[in-house]
Amino acid sequence: MSVFYFVAFLSIFFALMTIFTKNAVHSVLYLVITFFTFTIHYILLNAQFLAVVNFIVYMGAIMVLFLFVLMLLNLNKDTEPLKSNLIKIIGVIAGLCLVVTIAGSLKLLETSNPVVLKDPGIGLVSNLGKVLFSEFLLPFEISSILLLTAMVGAVLLAKNETKKI
Amino acid sequence: MSAIITLSLLAVLLLYLGLFKAKKALLPVSLLGLLAAIVLYSIQWDTDAEPLYSGMVLFDHFAVAFSILSLFITGLVFLLSRDYFDSISEHVAEYYALIIFSLTGALLVVSFHNLAMLFIGIEIMSVALYILVGIRKRDFSSNEAALKYFLMGAFSTGFLLFGITLIYGATGSFDLTEIKNYLIANPHSISPLFYSGILLLIIGLSFKVGAAPFHFWTPDVYEGAPILITTFMSTVVKTAAFAGFLRLFLTCFVPLQDFWAPVLLVITVLTLFIGNISALAQQSFKRMLAYSSISHAGYMLFGILSIGAASAGAIFVYSAAYSIASVVAFAVLILVKRSRGSEHFEAFNGLAAKNPYLAFTLSVAMLSLAGIPLTAGFVGKFMMFSGVLANYHIVLLLLAVLNAAMGIYYYFRVIVAMYFRPADREEVTVNANYKAVLFIGALLTIAIGIFPSLLAGWL
Amino acid sequence: MTDLIWIVPLLPFIGFLINGIGRNILGKPLIGIIGSGVVFVSFLLSCCLFSHVYDARQAGGDGAFTVPIFEWISAGKLSVGLSFMLDPLSSIMLLIVTGIGFLIHVYSIGYMSHDPGFGKFFSYLNLFIFFMLLLVLGSNYIVMFIGWEGVGLCSYLLIGFWYKNEAYAGAAKKAFVMNRIGDLGFLIAVFLIFTTFGSFEFSSIFPQAAGRVSGDGTLLLITLLLFVAATGKSAQIPLFTWLPDAMAGPTPVSALIHAATMVTAGIYMIARSNILFTLAPVTLQIVAGIGIATALLAAAIALTQNDIKKVLAYSTVSQLGYMFLGLGVGAFTGAFFHVLTHAFFKALLFLGAGSVIHAMSDEQDMRSMGGLKKKLPITYITMLIGTIAISGIPPLSGFFSKDEILAHAFVQNKVLWVLGFIGALFTAFYMFRMLFLTFFGEFRGSKEQAHHLHESPGSMTFPLIVLAILAAFGGLLNIPAALGGGEWLAHYLEPVFAASTAKTGEFHLEHGTEYALMAASGIAAIIMAIWAYGTYVSKKTVPVADGAERSLLSRLSYHKFYIDEIYDALIVRPLNKLSVFLYKVIDRAGIDGLVNGLGRTAEESGKGIRLLQSGNVGFYIFMMVVGVIALLVYGLIKI
Repeated sequence: MSVFYFVAFLSIFFALMTIFTKNAVHSVLYLVITFFTFTIHYILLNAQFLAVVNFIVYMGAIMVLFLFVLMLLNLNKDTEPLKSNLIKIIGVIAGLCLVVTIAGSLKLLETSNPVVLKDPGIGLVSNLGKVLFSEFLLPFEISSILLLTAMVGAVLLAKNETKKI
Repeated sequence: MSAIITLSLLAVLLLYLGLFKAKKALLPVSLLGLLAAIVLYSIQWDTDAEPLYSGMVLFDHFAVAFSILSLFITGLVFLLSRDYFDSISEHVAEYYALIIFSLTGALLVVSFHNLAMLFIGIEIMSVALYILVGIRKRDFSSNEAALKYFLMGAFSTGFLLFGITLIYGATGSFDLTEIKNYLIANPHSISPLFYSGILLLIIGLSFKVGAAPFHFWTPDVYEGAPILITTFMSTVVKTAAFAGFLRLFLTCFVPLQDFWAPVLLVITVLTLFIGNISALAQQSFKRMLAYSSISHAGYMLFGILSIGAASAGAIFVYSAAYSIASVVAFAVLILVKRSRGSEHFEAFNGLAAKNPYLAFTLSVAMLSLAGIPLTAGFVGKFMMFSGVLANYHIVLLLLAVLNAAMGIYYYFRVIVAMYFRPADREEVTVNANYKAVLFIGALLTIAIGIFPSLLAGWL
Repeated sequence: MTDLIWIVPLLPFIGFLINGIGRNILGKPLIGIIGSGVVFVSFLLSCCLFSHVYDARQAGGDGAFTVPIFEWISAGKLSVGLSFMLDPLSSIMLLIVTGIGFLIHVYSIGYMSHDPGFGKFFSYLNLFIFFMLLLVLGSNYIVMFIGWEGVGLCSYLLIGFWYKNEAYAGAAKKAFVMNRIGDLGFLIAVFLIFTTFGSFEFSSIFPQAAGRVSGDGTLLLITLLLFVAATGKSAQIPLFTWLPDAMAGPTPVSALIHAATMVTAGIYMIARSNILFTLAPVTLQIVAGIGIATALLAAAIALTQNDIKKVLAYSTVSQLGYMFLGLGVGAFTGAFFHVLTHAFFKALLFLGAGSVIHAMSDEQDMRSMGGLKKKLPITYITMLIGTIAISGIPPLSGFFSKDEILAHAFVQNKVLWVLGFIGALFTAFYMFRMLFLTFFGEFRGSKEQAHHLHESPGSMTFPLIVLAILAAFGGLLNIPAALGGGEWLAHYLEPVFAASTAKTGEFHLEHGTEYALMAASGIAAIIMAIWAYGTYVSKKTVPVADGAERSLLSRLSYHKFYIDEIYDALIVRPLNKLSVFLYKVIDRAGIDGLVNGLGRTAEESGKGIRLLQSGNVGFYIFMMVVGVIALLVYGLIKI
């Protein structure tokens, strides 16, 4: 239990750091750490597969890509555009309100014991695979359309337009 | 299901056609594919629908009717696309493929029977749109629209997903039947998670249908996107999102109506007033249509608000009427913009004198959007309003009628411009495809207006 | 016979389609023949239908037939059919609409012969007849509403027919907006009726309503809303200012739509729903009050107008006021009788004015006319008949209908009668003033106009003659019992108003009193005519020029009591400001100004930085978050 609270604190802390850091590269690095704490959460929840995927794909691949892009664009200087204090204050107030209300909503909920899982094997790779290839076969297959769409889109956006408009 | 597979294959085929530079074949092949899908759906009509694939999708009358509507409207949009994409970009095949992908997502949204499918459908629909909105790479407003849509879409998807998770947490299932059974089995001990889940789902779906206060993306994105994509978004995507919204609430959440109806009521009223009042002051026809689409979302929310056996039919007729009229309006806008280079009301001045056919069809579309009798729009509004009446929301009805009156004012501005404002202008050239779309649109609008049973009998 | 009723509205619609599609292909003569031909056939059919109803009435039945055409909308317990109702009331309206409609179509062939929009004009006119027939024939409020909207649309199109004139387009817009306010009332009333009675059909609503107590709150609301609708369509205070402006349209339009048919739709609708109004006495009092106020105000304005069509327009508003007075005091037959006679003589007067304008090369100012009697003999004689009829001088038609309304008003409330009587004096004076200024004295126009003066062609004088005969003898339809007449119309219409009569009791007035009232109004009208003769013929007074000094009352009347200006200051300008404010502050400045203080449009600040910054998105998401919070707080409270 105390492990959970500690990791949760770290998640929130690094997430905040991601937002507050002015240097873009530092910000991405904080994000990487945040994702790492998520991985720990997944392990705590006995979801090994998710943990591994999160570790490899999010932390590894995507964030490294982010870093490359930032470096290529040479954005590691402090280029945060000027924003008035009014906006900042409004943003903070709105965000806090959201946190408070969500926290309030959740406080109302009956909290089942979070550490005891009903089915300890649920997050294991084999179980996940069984569910994905039996009950959730259709959504699993259909996701391929989503991926294909994203691929086509990415290529389209990256391609050079030779024609003048 | 075969229709969805057909469409996915069609999109891949189109990509290959693009690879082999068979540009001429793109449009006919796409239309044939859509036609095939419509036929496949029509065959399914009579079968007793059972949820398929472990309860993932359900092709009941509701799903089939909305699917055919979406396919039909997409067909109209495709007809308009001749010469349109060519002038924007050379990667035409990709655009057709993306629209088909988006349509596939829409078809999943109207036929889902499991929240996982709802989510995937909405994502497929939206991801393709994020790209389509930004087609014009060198146009800042198009880029800006794409970015805004993406950022805000991602934001709202978070709420949708959170909502689905909470519902799962309460019921232990994504399946609509199981969720319903949970509500029936525990009428007095519903988990608070469930209530929060409903609220978050309302937020996520309100964003997708463009209801206030989650509508802010609509005017900017509609204005920035290429007109044809705006047409697709404001018709097919909106219809599908509403169908999904209704399907979820109709199947699962009716027992909790007392809880969510007040929320939706406020959203509806806000949407109506924000849409209409903002539309009043617009100078750009396109932006006016964007705001008016917000107000139409408000009218369609009536269908969900007064949920019952009749609401599916009402939303179906309303969205059909609205989609057809919108396609006509946008088609004329494309032509006018092409010849005058402007989207403002002034660009329509004196259109009736040079292009009486164009002006007439646009007038029919505007009358239908305004809900004047003997057009499809009136039937749609009438069915919506009577649904509201059946639940005795008199005050709501008064507000709606007041808004309808406001709507008439701004829709008539373009009619006034076309017929009553003299201007020196040249005749707009209209190619055969546009003529066909305008003709079909105007004809259907009037036909549904006079014989509503053509459509209302479906559901 | 009644099964064929659908052909009556269908024919004008076919005419509309043919003329609308072929307006550039078909020649003018052919368009004219098709346009008037379809209406004429409709008229013949209407005559057959009328005789059918008449026979049924003679045989002792109530003469009401409902003919369902097809089921229109059917959803759940809601079902609306397109069905027609033929009864004594609608049978007479049918004759008015198609009969006078036909005459005016014929007249238009001559009047519009030089207009390039000839085909368009006839297609609009045919469309108008179609919608008017729907309005009249509908057996439920929905069909009536469709007709109601449709005639408004046609009126709008026809007022703005010569749209190249900016002021005319403005007039069309004004008519449209004011009518919309009325329509709003209608629509809400119809939905209220549905919630109250569970049906839109007249045949189901009225018997249910008859079972309610007088003074019922719902009925009060429904009737008030219906009356709002009527004030819009029939140009009553406060929504009357569109009608005089509507004279911007071609004169046949003024005659057909803005005098004989469409503007009486409000009276028709109230007469049709008479039982609802009878059970809402408060509404009836308001109807009577508004009616008499409109009648007086419009008559007072008409006294000083110099535009021949404006005089007739205000006179129409004033006469409509009398009809509402009639409805308000329970003289449903009288009000409807006045609709009938007014249709005859006002159509006649407008067409006559059109003939004068045609002869004067589009001059409408009476100060430039005079002495046209010799040049336009047929126009003069027919207009004289019309003037006598409208002034209420016996034995022409206007006398009988107006007298019946005033007699009822006398029984109900003496003050109403006195005011009505004063209005009648005004009417006689301004009508004869118009007649004398136009046809008597010396010609005051330019040489060119004098040279061009001619009597109108046969297609224009023929309708004038027919209408003059009708205006002269129309009164015979309902000669009061006091004069030994059979009150034919009242008996014919009896079943329509039977339920109301049962509630209010028979109208009763001593014959002696009735004679006195008739004599008073007849003689007073003649005196006013003589006074006008003295002023405008013997003394040869010509109204002063626009800029000249006027007395206070005359100035008020001349400037139409500044009502347009008052509306402008009170309603139009504040609304405009609000709309501009919303546009500037909410749509433009608010969103952007708050966020980054930059102009919104991409053209102004279309720089790359904007994309990174994308200030609006922050604001939008902020607003969304506010929405989310509101919803969640609701959830917190509710769970």
